[in-house]
Amino acid sequence: MSALARLRETLVAVATTVFATTAFAQSDALVTTDWLEKNLDNPKVRIVEVSVEPGLFERGHIPGAQNIVWHTDLVDTVERDIAKPEKFQALARKLGVDKDVTVVLYGDSNNWFAAWGAWVFDIYGLRDNVKLLDGGRKKWELEKRPVSTSPIAPKASAFTVAEPNRKLRARLLDVVSVVEKKTDARILDIRSPDEFSGKIIAPAGFQELALRAGHIPGSVNVPWARAVNQADGTLKSPQELKKLYAEVGIDGSKPVITTCRIGERSSHTWFILSRVLGYQVANYDGSWTEYGNVVGLPINNPAGTVWGGK
Amino acid sequence: MSISDDTGALDYHRAREAAAASASSDAGAASSPLPLLRIVLAVAVALGLAAAIHLVGVQGGPATQLQLSLILGAAFGCVLQRSRFCFFCIWRDWLDRRDPRGLLGILTALAVGIAGYTLVFGAWLPDPSGTRLPPTAHIGPVSVALVLAGLAFGAGMAISGSCISAHLYRLGEGSSTSPFALIGAVGGFILGFLSWNDLYLSTIAGSPVLWLPRQLGYGGSLLASLAILAGLAWLLLRTGRMPPASPAVTQDPFVDVFIRRWPAWIGGLFVGLIGVAAYLRLSPLGVTAEIGSRSRQLAVGLDWLPLRLEGLDSFRGCATVIRDALLTPNGLFIAGIVTAAFAAALGAGEFKPKRPTGGQVLRGLTGGVLLGWGTVIGLGCTVGTLLSGISAGAVSGWVFAAALLAGTTVTLRLGRRLGWLA
Repeated sequence: MSALARLRETLVAVATTVFATTAFAQSDALVTTDWLEKNLDNPKVRIVEVSVEPGLFERGHIPGAQNIVWHTDLVDTVERDIAKPEKFQALARKLGVDKDVTVVLYGDSNNWFAAWGAWVFDIYGLRDNVKLLDGGRKKWELEKRPVSTSPIAPKASAFTVAEPNRKLRARLLDVVSVVEKKTDARILDIRSPDEFSGKIIAPAGFQELALRAGHIPGSVNVPWARAVNQADGTLKSPQELKKLYAEVGIDGSKPVITTCRIGERSSHTWFILSRVLGYQVANYDGSWTEYGNVVGLPINNPAGTVWGGK
Repeated sequence: MSISDDTGALDYHRAREAAAASASSDAGAASSPLPLLRIVLAVAVALGLAAAIHLVGVQGGPATQLQLSLILGAAFGCVLQRSRFCFFCIWRDWLDRRDPRGLLGILTALAVGIAGYTLVFGAWLPDPSGTRLPPTAHIGPVSVALVLAGLAFGAGMAISGSCISAHLYRLGEGSSTSPFALIGAVGGFILGFLSWNDLYLSTIAGSPVLWLPRQLGYGGSLLASLAILAGLAWLLLRTGRMPPASPAVTQDPFVDVFIRRWPAWIGGLFVGLIGVAAYLRLSPLGVTAEIGSRSRQLAVGLDWLPLRLEGLDSFRGCATVIRDALLTPNGLFIAGIVTAAFAAALGAGEFKPKRPTGGQVLRGLTGGVLLGWGTVIGLGCTVGTLLSGISAGAVSGWVFAAALLAGTTVTLRLGRRLGWLA
């Protein structure tokens, strides 16, 4: 190898390190589309799409991105549970994800399922290096940035899964304990006002239902999409977000539990409260389809919908 | 020179002969002006279609998706009309005269489709051996119900004179049977939805979804499928009877493209390419999603359907989920087929609307019901299940094709013996 080539290699290595440091310098929970486009070739960045619509990723994604299929990759397909540790570890290794790389998650529907992905990543020990692309697919497309259909084959990582972090996930007993005032926490329900009040059990067309309508006693309601700027899918500013949730008494002074119908939309609000505002938050993925189906639990039903025949 | 006929089940051989006989006059047409009105009308329809494509692109919801659907629909309709890509007519040419050319066209479409899909699959799902299927590809369950669906669909083809895609392009030719076949299909769809839950629980739910690349790998699946197609082509050429050599091209490309029929293999080539383009950019080719979805909307509105159609919306194939939007990709695709076929038929002088006879109405409606029922249970038709399925390496595509040919053959023979079918 000539001295010149060696010099060039050293320079590249230095540049890469600098770039990688910049990747980490972004300590926020979000990255901008601008930042991401500048870091598309950064070897210390892994881009992962988590979208709801099948086939969307394959027909055009952010160049260099890999795909997670939320229907199967991040859940256990037999039990109602998130992916078991071994399954998650295998997925993370395949994606080349580890603690020393910046992982940027993004997706359709205002990053709804990308946020759910971030919650599962966090549970298994990948937190500060996992970020959401602010605005997700929507903003990337609106800004006419390039998309690609070429697959990439990343080098697998040697990631070792951590013990599941129980603090991030509320279970039924945690919620019941709050309802019975044995634990001091606030429950934030992010479903639509009509679901919250009990006028309807679920939005039209959804299969997963509960046998009763209403909400968990003591919970407050902020529909999840209110945190998003509808024009480009970005999150509102931290000040606006703080104000939005403070209005219903959620200000970070007490631990929070987020909940919805099946626990997926609520992970979007979990991300905002936990990662953007830094509150202590657990997501209750059992949500209304668990709570509203359990025998003998108290329910608040302001709409007065009563179960029975005609 | 008319290439359409009244029943919609056109005699390909006769048409070719007619085309050959008039070749000299067609060639002469280059010097003598073509009927001006016809040309003006065809150009006007084509320009209207272009304007619609532009408008959809400007205003549509997911604009590129809707616009591309309309463009590909137009291309598909034009190709179907110009090359007379009608599965039933082609099969009848073979049964009656051992004319292999139409079938060779279908084999061409399948070969192009399989090669193109394999190319796309390699990028989208590099390793086929896992548990996942390539996104949205029409790979369905292989069950007894699928065989029944193919038999019914084949019978419907024989009775109504076409499959659904051919009825759509015939609509653009002014066929007297096709409107009734499509109305009958709506009824068939609703009957399909009504019988779905029983068939799903008794056979479909427990049946396997078989995908050739999972067992054979992409290379193996490609080779095996192409070998089957090559074997069939060899058989056709060996046992078939080529009609007397058709005259050489007319020396006038205008006549060759716009007036005379395209050879079936050229049609097949384009059909295969359009199928691959649609899969790459939108979704697998299919012509029944919109009709199925609107039929379901109608039946739900009338309170005819059970509250839940078990598992129906979780299968790959021509989805019949009810959509709220006025403009849907598949709706525009259908509109593109009919309009472009209309323009192409006008230009070629093949738009010949006639008052329908009672027999045509009856055959259209009954055949249509069978087509619709077969489509719901088979999760698609000759395009959605047969073409897009076989292209995707789905065993369901091959099974549906075999059942459909059996159904058509038996029904046609029986119908002729009883004097009901021509």
